[in-house]
Amino acid sequence: WLYLRRQKERQQRQRRLRQLPLGQAGFQLLDTAGTARSKADFLGGWVLLYFGFTHCPDVCPEELQKLGRALELLEELDPALPPLLQPLFVTVDPQRDGAAALARYLRDFHPRILGLTGSPQQVKEAAAAFGVYVSAGPRDADGDYVVDHSVLTFLLDPDGLVRDCYGRSSTAQEVARSVKGHMEAYGALAA
Amino acid sequence: AAGMAAPTMEERKACWGARDEFWQCLDSHGDDASKCEKLRRAFEARCPQQWVKHFDKRRDFLKYKKKLETEGYHPPEAAGKS
Repeated sequence: WLYLRRQKERQQRQRRLRQLPLGQAGFQLLDTAGTARSKADFLGGWVLLYFGFTHCPDVCPEELQKLGRALELLEELDPALPPLLQPLFVTVDPQRDGAAALARYLRDFHPRILGLTGSPQQVKEAAAAFGVYVSAGPRDADGDYVVDHSVLTFLLDPDGLVRDCYGRSSTAQEVARSVKGHMEAYGALAA
Repeated sequence: AAGMAAPTMEERKACWGARDEFWQCLDSHGDDASKCEKLRRAFEARCPQQWVKHFDKRRDFLKYKKKLETEGYHPPEAAGKS
C-alpha cells in the first residue's frame, strides 16, 4: 500500500509539473524588510519556494525544518551550491502574516530563508500561479483559524522555470540530492 | 484576528509534547478518552483551540491509515467491475 502510494505521489508530482505554465509561474510580493520582490529578482539563481503560514499547527514548521536540513545536506554534498540557491517562504495568510510576524517566525529556522508577504490579491495570485490550493477555514470565537493549503516546495532554475516540486513525503536527503542533480544537469547544459 | 500572535517555537513544542502525552495515553488505553482526561485538559490548555481540532482530525486520519496498512483496503461491494 505504501509502495503504491509513493508511486501515485510521484505520478501526481509529474502531472503537476506538466500542468504548470512553465516560465509563467511568477509573483509580486514584499519581503520582511518591506522591499518589493518579484520572480525576476531571483533569475540567474535557483529558488526553493514553499507556501505556508505562521499559525500552522505542524506541517509548516516540519517542512521548514526539512528545508533547512536539506540546505545543510547540500552544503555537505557540495559547498559551492548553497550560495546559488535562495529559499523562500511565501505566506498564504497575508491577513496575519505581515513582515514583522514573518520575520519573527522565520528566526526559528534556517537563516537564509527569506519571507514573502503582500496584499491578499498578490498572495492569491502567487499561489494560483503555482497551482497551490489555499483555503482559510472558519474563524472560532477568538477569531483564530487555520489555512488549508497544498504542501509543496518548488525548485525554480535560473531561467525561472519550475524544475521539480517536493511534497510532504520527500525527505531532506531526497530534496538535497534532487536539487544537486538539477543544478549539475543545468550546469552541464549551459557549459 | 489580526492582533493574535502566532505561537512561538517554545509554545509549539509545549503543545506537541502535551498532544503526544495525550496520544500515548490513548494508545495505552485502547483510545478510551475517559482514562486520559487530565492529559486531555493539559493538551487543550497548551494548544490553540484550532490546533486541538486539527490534531483530533489528524489522529482520526492516522488511525484510519494504520487500519488500511494492517487490514488492507476493502472497497464496498460493487455491482460490477470498473
